[in-house]
Amino acid sequence: MIREWTPGQWGLRVTAALGPVLALLATTPAGVPPRAWLVVLVALLSLAHARLPESPVGTVAMGAVVVWWGVAFRGGPDAWAIPAAAALVASHVAALLAGYGPDALGVDPATLRRWLVRAGAVFLLAPGVWLVAAVLRDRGEIPGVWVTGLALALVAVVAASYALNRGAED
Amino acid sequence: MSTWRTTAALSRAAALGALGVATAVLFGEPAVMVLTAPFLLMGALGLLHRPTSTPVARTLVDHAVLHEGQGTRSRLVVSDLSGVEHVTRIAATVPHVALHPAAGRIGQLLGPDEEAPLLEVSPRRWGRRNLGEENVAFTSPWAGYRWGPARLNGSRLQALPVRAAFDSRAEAPQPLGLVGAHRSRRPGDGSEFAAIRRFHAGDRLRRIHWRVSLRTDALHVVSTRGEEDTAVLVVVDALADHGRSGGVDGAASSLDVTVRAAAALAEHHVRRGDRVSLRVVGSGGETVQYGAGARHLQIILGRLATMQVGTPRDLRGEQLQLGVTAGTVVIVLSPMLSVAMATLTATLVQRGLPVLVVDTLPAEVTPAVVEGTDPQVAGLAWRMRLVERREVLARLAALGCPVVAWRGPGTLDDVLRRLARRAQLPQVRAR
Repeated sequence: MIREWTPGQWGLRVTAALGPVLALLATTPAGVPPRAWLVVLVALLSLAHARLPESPVGTVAMGAVVVWWGVAFRGGPDAWAIPAAAALVASHVAALLAGYGPDALGVDPATLRRWLVRAGAVFLLAPGVWLVAAVLRDRGEIPGVWVTGLALALVAVVAASYALNRGAED
Repeated sequence: MSTWRTTAALSRAAALGALGVATAVLFGEPAVMVLTAPFLLMGALGLLHRPTSTPVARTLVDHAVLHEGQGTRSRLVVSDLSGVEHVTRIAATVPHVALHPAAGRIGQLLGPDEEAPLLEVSPRRWGRRNLGEENVAFTSPWAGYRWGPARLNGSRLQALPVRAAFDSRAEAPQPLGLVGAHRSRRPGDGSEFAAIRRFHAGDRLRRIHWRVSLRTDALHVVSTRGEEDTAVLVVVDALADHGRSGGVDGAASSLDVTVRAAAALAEHHVRRGDRVSLRVVGSGGETVQYGAGARHLQIILGRLATMQVGTPRDLRGEQLQLGVTAGTVVIVLSPMLSVAMATLTATLVQRGLPVLVVDTLPAEVTPAVVEGTDPQVAGLAWRMRLVERREVLARLAALGCPVVAWRGPGTLDDVLRRLARRAQLPQVRAR
């Protein structure tokens, strides 16, 4: 219940709710404002994600943001993708921390510190990928890059599915 | 039996990572990879830290028997904690058991070779206390997998009553035993002066009183009274509990006062070397035979802690067998709201036994009433009951049974002295 939330939980839930919305709105400074209905949809999904951090609704909210970023831009990565990535990572980690226990469980400072460090370290990958993408964009289209990417993605999905199913069966 | 399952966080990271790659490839937009690359990494790290252990968990308290108000620790004993990074313990709150952390919820990181987090528990009221069920969950590094939440049965605690402050310097009215601390009516080898009398064969030479012997030209000795122990029967009224109990540091119900006073009396008399017996008048009918010593005291406290409260079927005061012998001091701890207890007490008094009643009804007690009862009717009924109680107490006093309210140290001194003086007088006993 929301009434049971501790101040720490409130912080986590607000972060979880704001992350996808901010990531979506980050396309606006880049010149492609999101559709109003999409903002409302993502906002609602994000609120549900904050309320139920263990539910798949968070994946839907963040997935909508990711797809919008794919649809909205043509012509290379925008620097605003980096703060958008930060917002998504923050939302994900906040939901992860909130999911460690029931609503009324306080936030353990040591756990919070560990995940802040982890989130910071993992987030560094975003500017790295942006840098690589920017370099590749300047060099023009490399033959076979998307085919290779697709193959890698498929392998990743298959491996992840296998691992997830194995974990569930055990 | 719980198993390791993937967490929502891992599913989300894997799904977003895959979606990001697919979207980037589909739309040819590398900006999406910038967004989802961290998720791919987190998902991969979560998968890599998949635990292989099969934990078996149970809870264990350091001390199963303790006094109300004392505290102990509830440990989470896990067979294998390898691959566990975070432990969550959620204990159900139960009445009269305080937990620390206050709500019984702990979520902590687990260091290498570190024990699972402890939960501090403290029973706030005497009696058997079952700690509530506990939900336990373990999470692997990078929050990829979770074991549980598994439901564990709570441990059981036995909270002995805290002994109310009590001390008495009064002697037993009719000591009738072996060696003890009470002045006997019979002459013996004690330290209490009785008389100076003529020397008899068998008297010890060190008892000769030389000054009187010289003055009277006949050997005289100082005679003393013997010192004997006594038997004390503590009768506890557990027919009902009146008032609301706030635990060891809150308001006391009638049964709280009764049990704590009984514990204090038992300890006092056991320490003085008396033989103490306990009889609980309640649905359990718990009994502890006469005995002495620290171990016997623990038995009495344990029986008080586990006694069952309620009115047994066909309860008749005159038919209750207490096993009282001559010379036994009977202390009845009761709020005297039951006819059976009043009858029982009156029967004992009429047998010529030294009986005293300790009134254990707290001053500001309000009765528990069934929900929906008109408060005015309930109040009127309670006042009528108190009037009846006053009548019962007056009749007991008229029979020669002293009634005192429990007030800790010195509660019994005056009445015991009066009983002792009365015991010196010739009596006519009803049989």
